[in-house]
Amino acid sequence: MKASTNNLFHYRELITALAWKNIVIRYKQAYLGILWAVLKPLLMMLIFTLVRSFVGIETGDIPYPVLTFAALLPWIFFQESAAEGINSVTSNSALIKKIYFPREVFPLTAMFTKLVELMISFVILAGLMFYYKMTPTIYVLWVPAIVFYTMIVGLTISFFGAALNVYYRDVAQALPVALSLLMYCSPVIYPLSLVHKKLIVEQAAGQWSENLYTLYTLNPLAGIIDSFQRVMLKGLPPDFEPLLPGIILTFTLLPFSYLYFKRAENWFADVI
Amino acid sequence: MPIIEVNHLTKEYQLGHITSLKETALNAMRRLTFRPVHKRERFKALDDVSFTVEEGEVLGIIGHNGAGKSTLLKHLANISKPTKGKVIVRGTVAPLIEVGAGINPELTGRENIFLNGAILGMPKKIIKQKLDEIIDFSELEQFIDTPMKRYSSGMKIKLAFSIATSIDADVLIVDEVLAVGDLAFQRKCFDRMENLIKRQGRTVLLVSHNIRQVARMCSRVCLIDHGKIIADGLPSDVCEAFYEQSNQKIVTQATQGHNTKHNIRMSGEVDLEKIELLDENGNETQELVTGRPATIRCHFNANDNIENVEIIYGFHTTDFIYIASMGTAHLKHASNLFQGKNIIDCNIERVPLTPGVFAVRIGVFDQFRRPIFYGETLKVFPVRSENIPVTQMATLGVVDIPADWKFNTSTPRHENYNNSHASVNL
Repeated sequence: MKASTNNLFHYRELITALAWKNIVIRYKQAYLGILWAVLKPLLMMLIFTLVRSFVGIETGDIPYPVLTFAALLPWIFFQESAAEGINSVTSNSALIKKIYFPREVFPLTAMFTKLVELMISFVILAGLMFYYKMTPTIYVLWVPAIVFYTMIVGLTISFFGAALNVYYRDVAQALPVALSLLMYCSPVIYPLSLVHKKLIVEQAAGQWSENLYTLYTLNPLAGIIDSFQRVMLKGLPPDFEPLLPGIILTFTLLPFSYLYFKRAENWFADVI
Repeated sequence: MPIIEVNHLTKEYQLGHITSLKETALNAMRRLTFRPVHKRERFKALDDVSFTVEEGEVLGIIGHNGAGKSTLLKHLANISKPTKGKVIVRGTVAPLIEVGAGINPELTGRENIFLNGAILGMPKKIIKQKLDEIIDFSELEQFIDTPMKRYSSGMKIKLAFSIATSIDADVLIVDEVLAVGDLAFQRKCFDRMENLIKRQGRTVLLVSHNIRQVARMCSRVCLIDHGKIIADGLPSDVCEAFYEQSNQKIVTQATQGHNTKHNIRMSGEVDLEKIELLDENGNETQELVTGRPATIRCHFNANDNIENVEIIYGFHTTDFIYIASMGTAHLKHASNLFQGKNIIDCNIERVPLTPGVFAVRIGVFDQFRRPIFYGETLKVFPVRSENIPVTQMATLGVVDIPADWKFNTSTPRHENYNNSHASVNL
């Protein structure tokens, strides 16, 4: 793990150069350019708002569009960096066969590429908040920590998935399906408070309610999205109760995921 | 301490596809029921290879296709990991394996310099310093801000080569990259490589099929065959061993398969039935001897009488360097072909070829110099020598010129001789 952080520092120029290349080539011949990066959360927000207008989801006093956009921001960052990370090794097979550098550079690069796109989405969020006359509070300072945690979650999936994908390309096929299912298990369309209300306050599942809630918050995105909405929109500190199960899960899996990647790395060039 | 140490390096690959899920499950079942597991066949790309390279050495690695050269380089560059054994490299390695691995077609030339430099491990500061030199060497000033997808393939290679050769690393690994660009640029690349190698005292590993180049640039050469080092030593010795190996292969290929028809062009008026090589006694032979008489005899079949043809017999090496041609243009008597069989002999007083493998090419032209028959590599034959030791083959060249030597030395004047030595104070 320590070696990895050292590598990260040592290879920062390479990661920067590769991430910059990813961004440049993705948008170079596109007329709308980097706007495409923000178009996706924006369109999803519009659709969710439309759906909500005839389904009815309680959101408290926060306007729904800005609430769901604030949920889509970390969600899309996580989803795309995981998907990109898993493909990052196989899509760079030419480099892997020719030159050696620590292979974690590829998932990390995927992560940083998406980080840039996330920054742009923040501008849109700021615009929405301005439109709804919401002022950010001091708790916004939590945002870097939350984004960093999201990156760790993404990397845990990327390391394992990217290595496995070299041997079995099924992984890259299965991941989008799994992630789109996970979206419904994350408080993207609806707020976490709704889940909390149903399970903890109303005890909707009887004696299983507490356990179900813990299971729900094992998904690190539940805590991430909730905390993000709290610090950005509600002017509250993060709520650690829904964060904790996810954090424990992530930090238990991360070392295994990384070690698996490092062991598999030796055979990338032969198998890919 | 040697900069590169390879100890008993063995690399095995599995043949065929990665085991599928079904196969894995079946194997698990077999293991549980104690039945033999289906294993995929293994292939040894490198077999117990050991050698060391000292700092500043220029090591050439030669061998046939699939001998394991590139696999070896991949291990030295840390791209592949050994199945058994150890590879120790004390220093940074810059791989020049197939120039252009990190080139992206969407980016401009200038952007690619930075990207490729970063991939090769050059800090951005250094790239900035070297930017002008790189652009200058690539001869692409005018196009440097154009996306590389609009470059010609030669331009791409030029730029990639310029970037790759500007890295500072302790060990430079070069795999077949010198044959790039047009002739003028090749010359430039060659000079640059030589400059890197000889003047800057870098340790270099060079893989190439261009044996002449390897012999010229390297201080030591390894010959690899079927994953083993079968010769390691002075370039001239090892290259010669390789030539001999290749020559045998070429001769067997040429004598086994007679499918050489594809390089024959003919108008249909004349057909070549057979070529024979005759020794000085007029007996058919398969090999010629340097400095001895020989005859090339061709059996032509003509459809019609053809007057005043010009016939040319020539020798070339198996890599198509034309050495000599003997023509009938200067003959005093008429040279006509008659309908039916024609046997045409070309007598050579002494075979002017050094030991090696050569081939015959034949051309027939009509009186208007229109080619009516032309073919290369029509017969492949080895040349052996009675008095040139085989060990000198690689350094001899291909032509044997009989020469007389005379030493017209005047007796050295003793005063001068003494003076010159006195001045250096013996």
